[in-house]
Amino acid sequence: MAEEATLTAVDNEDTQKDKYLTFHLAGEDYGIEIQFVIEIIGIQSITDVPDMPAFIRGVINLRGKVIPVMDVRARFGLEDREYDDRTCIIVVNIDGTEVGLVVDEVSEVADIPEANVEPAPRTSKNNDNSYIQGMGKINNDVKILLDVHKLLFSGEMQDIAATMEEQ
Amino acid sequence: MSMHIDEDQIEIIQEFVTESRDMIDQLEPAIIELGQNSDAETINAIFRLFHSMKGSAGFLEFDHLARVAHASENLLDLIRNNEIELVPNHVTLLCGACDFAKEALDMVESDFNDDAMVSAADEISENLHQAIEIAKGNDQAPGQEPNAQPEDPSEHTEEPPAKIIPEEPQNAFPAMEITEEMRLSFVQEGNELLQSAEQGLLSWGENPEDKELIGDIFRHIHSFKGNCGFFGFSHLEKLSHQMENILDRVKSGSRLAVENPADQLLASLDILQQGVNNIADGKDDHIEDLDRYVADLNTLVAPLLGDFLMEEGVAEQAIAAAVETQKKPVGEILVQQGTASPDQIQNALKKQQDKIEKTKAEAKPVARTKTPAKRQDIRVELGKLDSLINLIGELVIAENMLIHNPDLKGLELENFNKAGQHMSKLVRELQEMAMTIRMIPVSGLFRRMIRLVHDISVKAGKKVDLKLIGEETEIDKTVIETITDPLVHLLRNSLDHGLEPPDERLAAGKDEKGTVRLSARHEEGEVWVIIEDDGRGLNKEKILAKAIEKGIIEGDGSDLTEKQIHNLIFAPGFSTAAQITDISGRGVGMDVVKKNLEKIKGKIDVSSTPGQGSKITLRIPLTLAIIDGMIVRVGTTTCIVPTLSILEAFRPDMGQITITPDGEELARVRENFFPIIRLHDILGKQPDSKALPDGILIVLEYQENRFCLFIDEILGQQQTVIKGLSDFIGNVPGVSGCTILGDGGVSLILDVGTLVESANNKKYGLENEE
Repeated sequence: MAEEATLTAVDNEDTQKDKYLTFHLAGEDYGIEIQFVIEIIGIQSITDVPDMPAFIRGVINLRGKVIPVMDVRARFGLEDREYDDRTCIIVVNIDGTEVGLVVDEVSEVADIPEANVEPAPRTSKNNDNSYIQGMGKINNDVKILLDVHKLLFSGEMQDIAATMEEQ
Repeated sequence: MSMHIDEDQIEIIQEFVTESRDMIDQLEPAIIELGQNSDAETINAIFRLFHSMKGSAGFLEFDHLARVAHASENLLDLIRNNEIELVPNHVTLLCGACDFAKEALDMVESDFNDDAMVSAADEISENLHQAIEIAKGNDQAPGQEPNAQPEDPSEHTEEPPAKIIPEEPQNAFPAMEITEEMRLSFVQEGNELLQSAEQGLLSWGENPEDKELIGDIFRHIHSFKGNCGFFGFSHLEKLSHQMENILDRVKSGSRLAVENPADQLLASLDILQQGVNNIADGKDDHIEDLDRYVADLNTLVAPLLGDFLMEEGVAEQAIAAAVETQKKPVGEILVQQGTASPDQIQNALKKQQDKIEKTKAEAKPVARTKTPAKRQDIRVELGKLDSLINLIGELVIAENMLIHNPDLKGLELENFNKAGQHMSKLVRELQEMAMTIRMIPVSGLFRRMIRLVHDISVKAGKKVDLKLIGEETEIDKTVIETITDPLVHLLRNSLDHGLEPPDERLAAGKDEKGTVRLSARHEEGEVWVIIEDDGRGLNKEKILAKAIEKGIIEGDGSDLTEKQIHNLIFAPGFSTAAQITDISGRGVGMDVVKKNLEKIKGKIDVSSTPGQGSKITLRIPLTLAIIDGMIVRVGTTTCIVPTLSILEAFRPDMGQITITPDGEELARVRENFFPIIRLHDILGKQPDSKALPDGILIVLEYQENRFCLFIDEILGQQQTVIKGLSDFIGNVPGVSGCTILGDGGVSLILDVGTLVESANNKKYGLENEE
């Protein structure tokens, strides 16, 4: 059993290497590593949870599992936009925590070899850059590759975790 | 130590571990009783515990465990035969042996050997031996074998059979206190063992050469014997012991009077099964003509006398020749030895032969009319059970989504509705069934406390009588695990702080011996576990002084009710013991107790009368998985309010509303005024209307606090499966979890306890912003 599990893990790592799920957000293209993505679902009714930061939109029912949903626009401090039929929720899983990410539109799975990934630019206003893992180039297009872990856990979410521990 | 351990062995070892643990748990209280009243039955029961543990451990080659068990057994045997006097030190030593056994079992479970326990085993068995030496003094112990060295691992359970089974009639013993639950578990296990043995015997009848089979059968019967002995079912024990003897002979390759005694053994097995069934019916284990059955089996063992003769100095060849040439070896050998006349032998043999035939004739019909086992149990891994229950939870949701599917709205579907109703009913039954699976009686938990109370009372020099009430009450297994630590803390506190030392009690005109009552019962849809003592009670002044000193409360506390003062003991960092003992009083206990209980949505109440004692009530919900909820709506949001905390609901008119100068709204319900909390404020939602008379007020109660919750509408009532909000979100004040409604939407379950708090926070937050 254990052997099998490692085999598939190795397998997955191999096939999933350098693959990114890309999506649109306010006119820019972003990418996240495919290994974190569980599934993509259409937008559905979200139940509000009180006392949450604005970018935590609430929780949804994913086939009997209740998972929180984060609006990536709100997370980046971008302007809100009405959800439409292209709005998607990307369900990601990091260390067993499942979270839905609301994005404008999902594009495709792209292959971006390591050689084509530039490190994140250092700007003076690099607050939000902390979520950026690197800049991926496909021909002339640039995809902003996001660090899913930081997207989920840094900033305000860290504070929440900290206050929880205090409690 | 065997180097190679295969699957089967692991299974056997695990079974051994579980069984031994059960036995220890059951017997620990008995050992402690020894200190108080050492009646023969208790000593016998304990003796048998160590004896069966020794046997099984020896069989599985856990030498250290076997060694300690053997040493304990020796000590107990001497006590039992009144050769030495029982002193309190013995009780301590036996308790130590129990502790060692538990530790060793843990080790066995993880590593499949007990090698690491060498030094502990040395120490304990050494202590036990010393105790024996001291107690024996100059006494001559006639029954004591010289080779009772603990280091002798080859020591076999069966070697001194005459010692193991006390030959005196055991019926004379007063019945040991056996609870209904113990009786049931004996019956279950007995049935299992007998059935395994029966199957083994049947296949052995076909493959007489199979040595492994014999080993299996022997083990089953041996365990059964041990159980019988432990419960004091002497008749069953005697018979199974006899069977064990025969099987042991077969195992070691000796020949029997009959080619293959499987049939006779099966007949005896049926008798045992009957006995077990009798016990299941609440009767005693009396077997008619027990002696005859035992004698019948005895005839099978006859050749074994040859071995004894060998010991007596008769030449081996002579015996062998006798055995070879004679069809009836017993008599022949006896005659050879000159201890019996040929006539006597002849007569005896004739009688025996008659009896065998009679037995055969009688046993056959018994086999045919064999009554089936009363109750069947299987042990299931808890993980499997949990996922089953989760799946059923999902099923309930799926069923709801199907039956109340929006696509079906407005359609006339008579047949579909019928089918749907049927399904709903089945799903509900399934759910109820699933819930009961996880419920186990609290007796196991309670019995563990006996030891604790004993230890503490000895340490603290107090005399305590622990009373257990309602042991059969069933609670969810996880709940039992969660309340174990709190219960330990509370009991410690009761004993250490609550109960006074004997002289103080006498001075206060009380019985020198304090009483602690531990009870469990169902009440108001909850389980209440109550700890009562008749000690000095809580000291209000002391608590208040301490709370003020530690900065737990502000002001002088004169505005607090008695109940609020009592509840201060659960505040973090509170400890009033003037002197910190090693038992309790580190100031971490009580708030941990409260936290643990809150984890399972339980509550805790304290009441106390100075000088009379105190009473602590743990109120625990029956199940953690499902609550009865009222679905309420605010604007477009629906929430669930636990029905248990709802007192009433009404549509207010303005005449009932009072607004205080600081802006707090109060609703008058008959003679009481309750503060109003607006749910839309807490959720940050837009309600249909903010005017109170347009909505509904629900009166909620949490502990002693009552308040009104303002909502737009009540939508209905539903059993809801509780789901946790994601860890990612963490704890949300005012919300205890969520559930999935029939339409697939997620709905929050309101936490009445923290609702008040979060409403206050909201208010302060708003004020600060202003």
